[in-house]
Amino acid sequence: MGEKKQLIISLGREYGSGGHVIAEALAKRFEIPFYDYHLIGEIAAGKKVDVKTLERFDELPKIPFFSRTVNGFSNSPQENLANMQFDYLRKKAASGESFVIVGRCSEDILKEYEGLISIFVLGDMEEKIKRIMDREDVDRLKAEESIAYHDRKRKTYHNHFCRGKWGDSRNYDLSINSSKLGIDKTIDMLEDYIRRRMEE
Amino acid sequence: MAAQIAAVTIFLVMFLLIIMEKFERHIITLGCAALTLILVFGVCMHSTSAVTETLNLAGIFTKNFWIVSGEASESTGGINWATIIFVAGMMIMVEGMAAAGFFRWLCMSIAKAVKYQVIPIFITFMIMSAVLAMFIDSITVILFLAAVTLELSQLLEFDPVPMVLAEIFCANLGGSATMCGDPPNIIVGTSLQLTFADFITNTGVLAGISLILVVIYYYFCFRKELSATGQHTTVKEYPDPKSAIKDKKSFVVSTVIFLAAVVLLVTHAQTGLTVATIGLGIAVVTLLTSKNKMDVIKGVDYKTLLFFIGLFVVVGGLEQTHILELIAGVIEKISGGNLYIMVAIIIWISAIASAFVDNIPFAATMVPVIQSLAALNGIDISTLAWGLSMGTDIGGSATPIGASANVVGMSVVAKEGHIIGWGRYCKSAVPATIIVMVVATVGIWLRYC
Repeated sequence: MGEKKQLIISLGREYGSGGHVIAEALAKRFEIPFYDYHLIGEIAAGKKVDVKTLERFDELPKIPFFSRTVNGFSNSPQENLANMQFDYLRKKAASGESFVIVGRCSEDILKEYEGLISIFVLGDMEEKIKRIMDREDVDRLKAEESIAYHDRKRKTYHNHFCRGKWGDSRNYDLSINSSKLGIDKTIDMLEDYIRRRMEE
Repeated sequence: MAAQIAAVTIFLVMFLLIIMEKFERHIITLGCAALTLILVFGVCMHSTSAVTETLNLAGIFTKNFWIVSGEASESTGGINWATIIFVAGMMIMVEGMAAAGFFRWLCMSIAKAVKYQVIPIFITFMIMSAVLAMFIDSITVILFLAAVTLELSQLLEFDPVPMVLAEIFCANLGGSATMCGDPPNIIVGTSLQLTFADFITNTGVLAGISLILVVIYYYFCFRKELSATGQHTTVKEYPDPKSAIKDKKSFVVSTVIFLAAVVLLVTHAQTGLTVATIGLGIAVVTLLTSKNKMDVIKGVDYKTLLFFIGLFVVVGGLEQTHILELIAGVIEKISGGNLYIMVAIIIWISAIASAFVDNIPFAATMVPVIQSLAALNGIDISTLAWGLSMGTDIGGSATPIGASANVVGMSVVAKEGHIIGWGRYCKSAVPATIIVMVVATVGIWLRYC
């Protein structure tokens, strides 16, 4: 029996697009581990440090004027945590492990791996607002603000650490609008796409 | 007027670009240096003498550059080649020492000597950090000390952050004690023809008194955090300091070179050898005795040397256009010619500025300012020089971005998950900085005013 081919699904997403749910479902369907913000928990446990001290700097860009770099060393907590996560993901990928990873510039930092399939999930604004209103139990205005805030944060973080721009379809194997087919059919479609890619 | 506007604009743009970190800092200073040479000296001033004075190449070929005989004169400004050559020499020596395993051996030997007890390690590492930083750049000191502290923290199960924070502060403090400890001191010393003995008997005394207070301060600051951990650890196998030595012969040779460098620096006023000669000498000896010459050369941080060169040219632009004399005039006006106020302004402005911006450009800019101030008021230049050194060296300790050692130390521990934010850093560092600044201000007032 031949060795199982490595599969790394990198999934970037707009806030409220359902990307997180889609990534989790894909991990279940392919029976591979799923990493999102819980990645920090694993890192903290491995290094025997309090996860709370790390969490507040997750997926944030470094703050200009409050950060300085000397010979490649940086004082920025945001940058140090990001690099810690990138190193962790690189080690996992180098060990041959298959997994699904949400965000964290994974489509860029793991692009050298043949088994990488990068996806970006976006959504129609109306659908995203509805999803956030339901999920967070907030009014329309708050939902709009929340979407704008999180997307701006993700974009700044991504564009600081990666060469390509966040959400630019040229950086991903596939970009898909989850509002067109709905979450379940989007998952089906992505599963089919990934299986076809794996057959090649 | 046009030349002054151009020089100030280039200087401010350089500072802004350094802070923004969009480009590497040596690219920024070299680019701004080229603009200074072309726009300020060429287009605005039409002055070839300003170019030759700022490039300062002729000075290298004079005897006084290498051996001081008779009365020493102050340097003429522009590129401070003595600083460049000395820093390059020290970089080569430190590369050789690191390759031989000297620093790890020293740290482990001290930890072993205090029987691997957390509080004694904490105190001895603070003192060792200060002593090493008197002769070696603080980045190297912290790089090794923080790495060993992390290793020991895993072994003895204590939080390494308090210890590394204290080590960072003491490295900056130790650097202020000598002429070769911190780049601002090298710039101040070589520009004003001060000797190693001048520094050790002036800033060295202030740093020594401060170190005692700072060790006590950090002990009370962190004793609970450090005492609470590491108490219940079972006896483990401790690393043998000898295991740090990668090659016994290289280790002995690098230690001898280091000790020789210390002796030469301490006695350079007597021997007449300038820091440039000492720097070149130790570099040549290190390279001749190194097995891996290319590795040692590759390890030299040439970007920092280029950064220095560019910086000196940009500051030269301010000098040639007499901007720095205007700044000196403002300080004189505010102080009303009162030496107490003048010293306080130099120390505290230097400290506050260095807490947020790179202290090397700041020191390079302020040297001509204190020269003008001293000349205008008939004050002994060294009084202002000690204030400038203490302010720039220690002010940088107050914030995470103030000094290179802070950034490197925080980054080393962060790689192991110990992320330090501004709040945690400043909570202990700001009071410690204020303690040292008060000691420096009062010390200089009592002794020289």
